[in-house]
Amino acid sequence: MGVAFRLVTELVAGVFVGAAIGWVLDSWLGTRPWFLLVFFFIGAAAGILNVYRAARQIAASTERDAGGDQQG
Amino acid sequence: MATENAEHGGGGFAIDPMHQFEIKTLFPMQFGNIDASFTNSSLFMVLAAAAVIGLMLTGINRRAMVPGRLQSIVELSYEFIANMLRDNVGTAGLRFFPFVFTLFTFILACNLLGMIPYSFTVTSHIIVTFALAFFIFIGVTILGFAVHGVGFMKFFVPHGVPVYLLPLVVPIEVVSYLTRPISLSVRLFANMMAGHTVLKVFAGFVIALGSFGIAPGIVPLVFMVGLTGLEVLVAALQAYVFAILTCIYLNDALHMH
Repeated sequence: MGVAFRLVTELVAGVFVGAAIGWVLDSWLGTRPWFLLVFFFIGAAAGILNVYRAARQIAASTERDAGGDQQG
Repeated sequence: MATENAEHGGGGFAIDPMHQFEIKTLFPMQFGNIDASFTNSSLFMVLAAAAVIGLMLTGINRRAMVPGRLQSIVELSYEFIANMLRDNVGTAGLRFFPFVFTLFTFILACNLLGMIPYSFTVTSHIIVTFALAFFIFIGVTILGFAVHGVGFMKFFVPHGVPVYLLPLVVPIEVVSYLTRPISLSVRLFANMMAGHTVLKVFAGFVIALGSFGIAPGIVPLVFMVGLTGLEVLVAALQAYVFAILTCIYLNDALHMH
């Protein structure tokens, strides 16, 4: 449960931060909705990247723990 | 809390599961335009810090060769965090032991104090967890620039990416970096708030179904016992996740990829 929840928050945070950056840039520059559109997709990509990295890190740490058990 | 609320609501079983998260001002304080009142949240932060300090001081008080129970708790938690830092950051990370240890024990104490009935869960408010995560984020970024200088910017440029892809990859990496405080804080806050809300909702079921007789009330009560155990697990697990992610961020800042 902890692992699944971690991956979900990574994905959602990516999209959320991307959209927030786009929205702020649009309000500053008055270019609505272009930055929002661009950064939404960049944020989604960043979220997926984060999920991939988190999953790899979790897999690496469980593998390391399993290896440690065999040695010990 | 539930009965008190039902009286206020007047309508039988009008139990508000969100009532437990309400901030109450205990001592009003005002600095200029800033409301810095001492609230129930502040009270439980002080209690958590006092509980940790008290446990540590009484634990190491006797310094026995064969540790007693309290001393074992202190020694185990020391080794737990020291190993976490060694595994995730390397020996260079042991410089940050006091920081990670304080963080872990404080969050753990806040989470566990929140499990006591009628208490307040500090970490169920996103502003608290966000403040913790945001200062970690700022600190780790400063650390990265202090260790690597401007070279820390290379952190956002992965190896082996063709130059024509950089305008796409670098913003993705930067946004990915900026999500760290959000995902770190939302995870802790959402886990604590969701868990405590579920507990309150099931407690409401016990009262509502219990009014039909003993047997229907027992069923949600049994669930409550299980959920409470699960919630203690979540309290410890989320403190651990917060600490280990801090270690990973420290590792990124110290060694980059």
